[in-house]
Amino acid sequence: MANLNIDSAKERTFDAIVIGSGISGGWAAKELTDKGLKVIMLERGRDVKHIKDYPTTNMYPWEFKHRGQIPQDIQDANPVVSRCYAFREDAQHFFVKDQEHPYVQTKPFDWIRGYQVGGKSLLWARQTQRWSNFDFEGPARDGFAVDWPIRYNDIAPWYSHVEKFAGISGNKDGLAELPDGEFLPGFPLNAVEDYFSKHVKGHYKNRYVISARCAHLSKPNQIHIDQGRVQCQNRNLCQRGCPFGGYFSSNASTIPWALKSGNLTLRPFSVVESIIYDDKKGEATGVRIVDTNTKQTEEYYAKIIFVNAACLNTNLILLNSKSSRFPNGLGNDSGVLGKYVAFHNYSAHIGAQVEGFEEWATDGRNPAGGGYIPRFRNVFKQETDFLRGYACGLGAYRGYKHENDGFGESFKAGLSSKDYGPWYVGSHMMGETIPKASNFVALDAAKKDAWGMPLLNISVDYDDNDQKMKKDYVEQLTEMFTSAGFKNIKAETNHQAPGLDIHEMGGVRMGNDPKTSMLNKWNQLHSCKNVFVTDGSSMTSTSCQNPSLTYMALTARAVDNAVSELKKGNI
Amino acid sequence: MDRRSAIRNLALVMGSAAILPYCTPGKPIAHYTHFDVNLDQQNLVAELAETIIPKTTSPGARDLELDKFVWLMLDDCTKKEDRDAFFKGMGEFNDLVKKSYNKTFSESTMDEKHTILNTFEKKPKPSQKNIDPSDDKYSKELLGFYGTVHWLTAFGYTESKYFMTKEIVWELVPGRYNAYFPVKNLKAAKNG
Repeated sequence: MANLNIDSAKERTFDAIVIGSGISGGWAAKELTDKGLKVIMLERGRDVKHIKDYPTTNMYPWEFKHRGQIPQDIQDANPVVSRCYAFREDAQHFFVKDQEHPYVQTKPFDWIRGYQVGGKSLLWARQTQRWSNFDFEGPARDGFAVDWPIRYNDIAPWYSHVEKFAGISGNKDGLAELPDGEFLPGFPLNAVEDYFSKHVKGHYKNRYVISARCAHLSKPNQIHIDQGRVQCQNRNLCQRGCPFGGYFSSNASTIPWALKSGNLTLRPFSVVESIIYDDKKGEATGVRIVDTNTKQTEEYYAKIIFVNAACLNTNLILLNSKSSRFPNGLGNDSGVLGKYVAFHNYSAHIGAQVEGFEEWATDGRNPAGGGYIPRFRNVFKQETDFLRGYACGLGAYRGYKHENDGFGESFKAGLSSKDYGPWYVGSHMMGETIPKASNFVALDAAKKDAWGMPLLNISVDYDDNDQKMKKDYVEQLTEMFTSAGFKNIKAETNHQAPGLDIHEMGGVRMGNDPKTSMLNKWNQLHSCKNVFVTDGSSMTSTSCQNPSLTYMALTARAVDNAVSELKKGNI
Repeated sequence: MDRRSAIRNLALVMGSAAILPYCTPGKPIAHYTHFDVNLDQQNLVAELAETIIPKTTSPGARDLELDKFVWLMLDDCTKKEDRDAFFKGMGEFNDLVKKSYNKTFSESTMDEKHTILNTFEKKPKPSQKNIDPSDDKYSKELLGFYGTVHWLTAFGYTESKYFMTKEIVWELVPGRYNAYFPVKNLKAAKNG
């Protein structure tokens, strides 16, 4: 903007810019402001204030016009988001509708997005399992992607740092493949989950069923109360936003914390068009945005920039940040930007009926969702014809007997029966996928969105390794269920597109070698040292653990380094 | 009765009074986004819903306006092809009742209604005579019509304020998770 006056430019100058307000952006803002930096956080969507902007949070089921269902015309117009399990009447206002923000599916990809302050941290499934050295050493050991520039020991203290603040419930299970953390009390397994856990431990080497670790305040500490959060009330209505702050979200935790410091300016309705690179200075000087309401462009300036727009949009912003120094996107000397995108394979699940345990049921709700089976395939050595492995969700459930057929007085009375039916048990797979250059995103050559941004072209698919792994999941879980005596075991595989797992990662990967990676071990662009990328796009490989906790830890670690380098005058 | 329900009921009474005198069975009396409903159709769904969830010592389908919920969900949350099939099946349902009893479903006795509905259930009660025991004689539209009314009535009932506050209480804030909840205690509590 040529006609900027100086005062205005000064007003738009901060110590740091954070692009995005989701789970990693919130952490960047919190850590930067804690260290005294003046920060502006840019969010493309509207503001969502904790509690105040959770319109459905205290609604009863019968208060929803369609009792939770999404009307057919909305589903027909928005097939992608309609496939997401959480896109229901109570939380639909936190999801991006397909039609509002188009993208190009060169191959089918269900891109699930939440464009608002807090992003998808409002909507996430809150599973928080640490990654281990078996994950960080994976690419080097198994010969794919590039070596991670960090190991577990580098990130372990940062896991602790974020866990203490976010509040993670779990048990110390003592497993090398799923390191223990700073836990609040874990949620207990129920009778059938417990039985299965003991059975598996007794019959299999290196297979465990543990209580899933999750970002819920089972028993808050002072640090959580200081955030204005209280104990999780087991509502399991989390996707609506929680008035208790019972689960971790940017909205309930990091953003209000950062705002309280007085060091954070939050600017919603700001689509980041590009990061501005100054050829003479050899560094990024700021960010150019489009105000989504006025469609005017504006520039913001800072010494350091954190890019946390969520995996694919971070790729989009860097690809669109072209300069004479970086004609193919900011920091993209290697040509790997946008490539090696990977995800999690969620395309199989299994269910069964359980005989016995009639004397037990459950009461209330379990926010952890039940059990978790850490990866047991190819952990200590390669043992199958596919690389890597999968973790499994595991849950057992028993409800009141419910007869679906019939009519009249007896049918009506039956619906009110409080006699329990049988137990059911179910599991779903969460498979690691192998990043490849052929799984990539790119700017569409012609199509643009309403704000003049090129549409993202997504070309990501499963491969043979995924198919073999899926087959193995079905075989192994069928065997484990059979061995446990479960009945009517039914495995189901589906052809859900990548993306519906909502664990897309990569494209701006970390690595030691600038020729084959974008970021160094501090999540810093190799060739533009004052730009940091700490969301899912930075991941070198995907592990099979839910990734959000690792984004948080990487972010806090990167901020610590960035501020220290800034103070030393190195950036 | 809360204020909102009172206003709604008043509106219904006034609406009926205003419309009914001018209304013949074939004429639309309710307008939805995707279709109109005439008096016969409205009566049929209301009678079917009441047969499925009858008034007993507790409210039935009519009291809870479950028929209105059926129409709402058919309008808003049903695919076009299923909606079309619903109306086709409804016509076949009327024909079936007419053929069996030479009257409409609404005019049928309770026993006749039960006999008809039993033919749609997988396991008809042995004490009641089937009109036609062979399911495959029923078109998928006819089965679909009954199935849709049945599930939406039951769904509307179990998700109604009445059911969720008086029958099986739904808690907004449970505040607990007991992973080992002894079932015998519940039975004792119920019997006690």
